[in-house]
Amino acid sequence: MDPIEPISRRRLLVVTGKGGVGKTVVSAVLGRALAALGRRTLVVEVDPRENLHQMMGTPPSGGDIVHAEPRLWVQNLKPRQVLDQVVRDQLKLELLTRRVLASPVYQHFAAGAPGLKELAILGHAHRLLYGHAEVGSPEIDTVILDAPATGHGVALLAAPALVTDVIASGPFARMGADLASLIADAERSGIVVVTQAEEMPVEEALELRRALQQRVGRDAELLVVNGLYPPAPPGGGDSNARENELVNLWRRRRGLQERELARLRESWPGPCVELPQLPLDRGPALLGVLGRCFAAGRPLAREEAWT
Amino acid sequence: MDLTSGPAPRYPLLIVVGSGGVGKTTLAASLGVLSARAGRDTLVMTFDPSMRLKQALGVGEEARLREVPVALDAPGRLDASLLDARLTFDRLIERYAPDEESRRRVLENRFYQHLSGTLGGILEYMAVERLFEVAASGRYAQVILDTPPTRQALDFLEAPSRIVGFLDSGALRVALKGWFDEEGHLKAANRWGPLGRSAERFLDHVVGMDLLRDMAEFFQAFAPLYQGFRERASQVEALLRAPGTLFVLAAGPGEERIPDTLFFARHLEEAGYHLGPIVVNRVHPRFLLDGPPPTAGDPCRPSGWELLTWAGERDRRGLVELAKLLSREQPLVDVPLLPDEPTDLPSLEALGKTFEGRLAEWGRYVGRTS
Repeated sequence: MDPIEPISRRRLLVVTGKGGVGKTVVSAVLGRALAALGRRTLVVEVDPRENLHQMMGTPPSGGDIVHAEPRLWVQNLKPRQVLDQVVRDQLKLELLTRRVLASPVYQHFAAGAPGLKELAILGHAHRLLYGHAEVGSPEIDTVILDAPATGHGVALLAAPALVTDVIASGPFARMGADLASLIADAERSGIVVVTQAEEMPVEEALELRRALQQRVGRDAELLVVNGLYPPAPPGGGDSNARENELVNLWRRRRGLQERELARLRESWPGPCVELPQLPLDRGPALLGVLGRCFAAGRPLAREEAWT
Repeated sequence: MDLTSGPAPRYPLLIVVGSGGVGKTTLAASLGVLSARAGRDTLVMTFDPSMRLKQALGVGEEARLREVPVALDAPGRLDASLLDARLTFDRLIERYAPDEESRRRVLENRFYQHLSGTLGGILEYMAVERLFEVAASGRYAQVILDTPPTRQALDFLEAPSRIVGFLDSGALRVALKGWFDEEGHLKAANRWGPLGRSAERFLDHVVGMDLLRDMAEFFQAFAPLYQGFRERASQVEALLRAPGTLFVLAAGPGEERIPDTLFFARHLEEAGYHLGPIVVNRVHPRFLLDGPPPTAGDPCRPSGWELLTWAGERDRRGLVELAKLLSREQPLVDVPLLPDEPTDLPSLEALGKTFEGRLAEWGRYVGRTS
């Protein structure tokens, strides 16, 4: 199976999953894979603390679009900047803009209006893909959105529909409608769910799939199971006690993962790819090897003999 | 430092904080078991425990509504409860609303129904509110609180002061003035003349007047609840900073987690909370093999020997690095990665004992070298 195939022609890819499962590294792997196929790709990270640049070996983005490799760019996005930009675009008067942006009413509105922050994140991607981008920004074929870890992943994807529900008219309402149709359109957008083979992340991945079907009316394109231990050797006494302890830990942790993999096999019908835990620190070297593992596309493990 | 032994706790409130996925909830539950063993009536309040942990404690969905006893045979009682922010908020409104009409107006408000959890930290605040309710009841000698599973878990601590700030801020006063006249136009728009009308057109254009009307209505409906709410928030704030409230910071192993851990530690201290032990959880043990670990030919299929010896060294480096960055007085303990996750009360207790043992060792080590 070529795991990139089902998502290679989408314009927007949303990478979602519980915090700490490796969404950012998977986003970077996907970005490189698409760039290698000739797609001009931007990976957008939405996290107040930047991680992506460390993985890619680029300087921190600080909010800007940074060129990383041929046909690959990265950006760290602050949703609030995007919202403020919408106000600037609407209010042409600088003085009035400054007063609106500084007013406590706007501050609390921007922080609290349901779905608005999520809308700003998706709206940013939409703007880059479908015109109205700022002068000087590169032309982009695919945006990969490394979704924020806070809250449930479906909140981001359901936000456009929510906003069109609570805001009836104006630019946010129009943005909401555009984005809702982009998210609902499986030709144009794709959803990649990342998980680890542990109870809580798997639970959240399965819940996310149900919520996607119910609230967004679609399914995810790809599931990535990250951080897997290799299959353990069969049991048996070894001479070195310390080594036995190592093998025991390995076997038991792999056992926990296999139980969760079995649960995924049962309840996740779509394409799925496994990524190993690698003995490498976060950085370009890790990204390079993981990219090769991803391309090799090991599908969800069926029981295999240890070699 | 003694957290869970003896019937009279020095810290009646323990708050476990840290990034998501580091085992906060499990640690909180294991401390609860030890505390009840020591003869204290104990409550463990958690947010979103795994099925495994709920089964280990033997609690289900009913714990969202009330404190549920855990079947632990110990001198002290152990109860568990699940925090549900929305449910607490609804109950609070029921309690503080002066009449049926105010209650209905808030609960039915469309804005309230969609409230996303960030508005002035209202939803985070609700969790602290429930904590206060329990702490004030005097039913427990020891309360152990697990915090929300987000990277921004600290929002939760700031919720009381933020909500007081929010309630006192211009936003609420503006909202309470009554923005809209009988016909649903902005009142200010009439007073301010042409500028006001252009502001109204702008607001309508950008956010749509409907949402603003919903928001204004929500705050107006909320107004009668305001005073009670404000007093309560100040009391909660005082409780979090009380000398008997101790924070336990749970952290993940490895060098790449250090910035996260330091961020939490510094933030807690700067904000004037009492930071107790930092617990680096799930530390891979070090394995010293006779020779170099066998390597696999395929870099995508590393052997377990390679992987686990590497992880052991990585986590050791992380601990050493972290210890260097902390003051000598800061208790720092590591809890090893166990072959199995705790699935029952005895294994929770074993985990708690490991933690206590490591903490005592730290104390002896510091005593010896100072």
